[in-house]
Amino acid sequence: MSDTDRERELEALLTLSRRGRAKVERLHEILTTPGHFGTGASPATVVYRENKLRLLRLLDETGEPRRGPPVLFVPAPVSRYFILDLMPGRSFAGHVAAAGYDVFIADFGTPSREDRFADLEYYVSGLVRRCVRTIAALTGQSSIDIIGYCLGGTLSLLYAALYPETVKRLVLLTTTVDGDVQGGISWVAHRMGLAGESYDEPRLVPAVEVKSWFELLAPGSNSVVGRVSDLWERLDDPPERLRDVRTMATWVDDVVPAPGRLLAELYRKFGPGRNTLMAGTATVGDRRIDWSAVTMPVLSVSAEKDTISPPEGVDAIVKIVPHAQVMRLPGGHVGIVAGRAAKALWQRTVEFLST
Amino acid sequence: MADDKPELEPTVLERWLTEQQHWQRTVMSYVDSLVKNDEFLVHLGNAMRGSLLAGKPYPTQPSADATAPQTPADDKLDQVLFALHKIEGQLVDLRLSLDELRASGEKKKAKKRKDKDKD
Repeated sequence: MSDTDRERELEALLTLSRRGRAKVERLHEILTTPGHFGTGASPATVVYRENKLRLLRLLDETGEPRRGPPVLFVPAPVSRYFILDLMPGRSFAGHVAAAGYDVFIADFGTPSREDRFADLEYYVSGLVRRCVRTIAALTGQSSIDIIGYCLGGTLSLLYAALYPETVKRLVLLTTTVDGDVQGGISWVAHRMGLAGESYDEPRLVPAVEVKSWFELLAPGSNSVVGRVSDLWERLDDPPERLRDVRTMATWVDDVVPAPGRLLAELYRKFGPGRNTLMAGTATVGDRRIDWSAVTMPVLSVSAEKDTISPPEGVDAIVKIVPHAQVMRLPGGHVGIVAGRAAKALWQRTVEFLST
Repeated sequence: MADDKPELEPTVLERWLTEQQHWQRTVMSYVDSLVKNDEFLVHLGNAMRGSLLAGKPYPTQPSADATAPQTPADDKLDQVLFALHKIEGQLVDLRLSLDELRASGEKKKAKKRKDKDKD
């Protein structure tokens, strides 16, 4: 090898070293910069607590609750609530509040060991119902608007069927009703052995296990090497973009453990091959669900690229609630709610609530 | 007039030495953060798993006793504890129902008073 070749090689290595160092320095900057991680972006006060649940009420700039019509956001109990109030400028709940609504968010919290006995009835006729009743008592409104996301949408739909007089309008976001549509989280959970989850002797399903089901739907994210390589590539992005990514990544990775009894019940009733929501034979506790009771306006939104709740399984709501308005948006399960193009959903929701 | 001598470009070796000093500074900034900021180690651990999760460690398999009872007594205790949570909720339901009854009673009284005043 000539001296020139050797020099050229050293130059190339030097460039590589500088690029690598820039990434390592950017990582340090990102890891030491404060941001909105793990909490909602909007000022809020806790108006009700029960077990691990907190009912949050958003406040305006003066620290007072808004006086508009009440709206309750119901997130999925297996993930964290703050996806609905992610960060300033990227908050679904904040957008609805800015439109003048008195916004409440149910934060189901993190279940502990004794909560493994929690079932569908505990969530629907217990926690969600008491949230609605508390809101009614605070606002003097006997019926309120409800916006349910993912599994939170399932809880909201069941609640609306059981207590229709208390629901003014219902918005369901990426809420699967047809469990026989292939793909999505219920099929992955099915293949990963959810069928073996015991209803009678439930365990607290570890967060890492719940997370592994979601990871199987996002190729590459279930391997450490794949994730590290993704992160390394991302470190070329500008710091402000990376801070946004970190806020979202914190939500994605902050999965909570799930009550085994709830998962076993969801699987046995609504999962592949059971599908009682579509058959009209669903029950909550000892009460039968009657879809004809759902007479309030319903808007159901699916996402074109949703790998968690396939859009066909979401749009199937028109088969059980024929008057439901169905809308399919471009994007994925999380993107339509909190991504860069989420404003389309937020605006449509506010329009729907104002009709 | 002084001669404008062109500055000599550093050699590759010199630039490598400078780069090495930069790396030392970068490593020191990490060490500094590790010493000063308790959470930084957690965040760095998450990053080494390819995650930017902030505030808590990346989820890993918990110990067996964190998810399932070790003895039948633990199981019973958990059941009792959860039953207490349910009772707590039912008491709230009862209070809310009483509040609703009281409010509707007051409304009725007010209406009666109004009707009387009209008569």
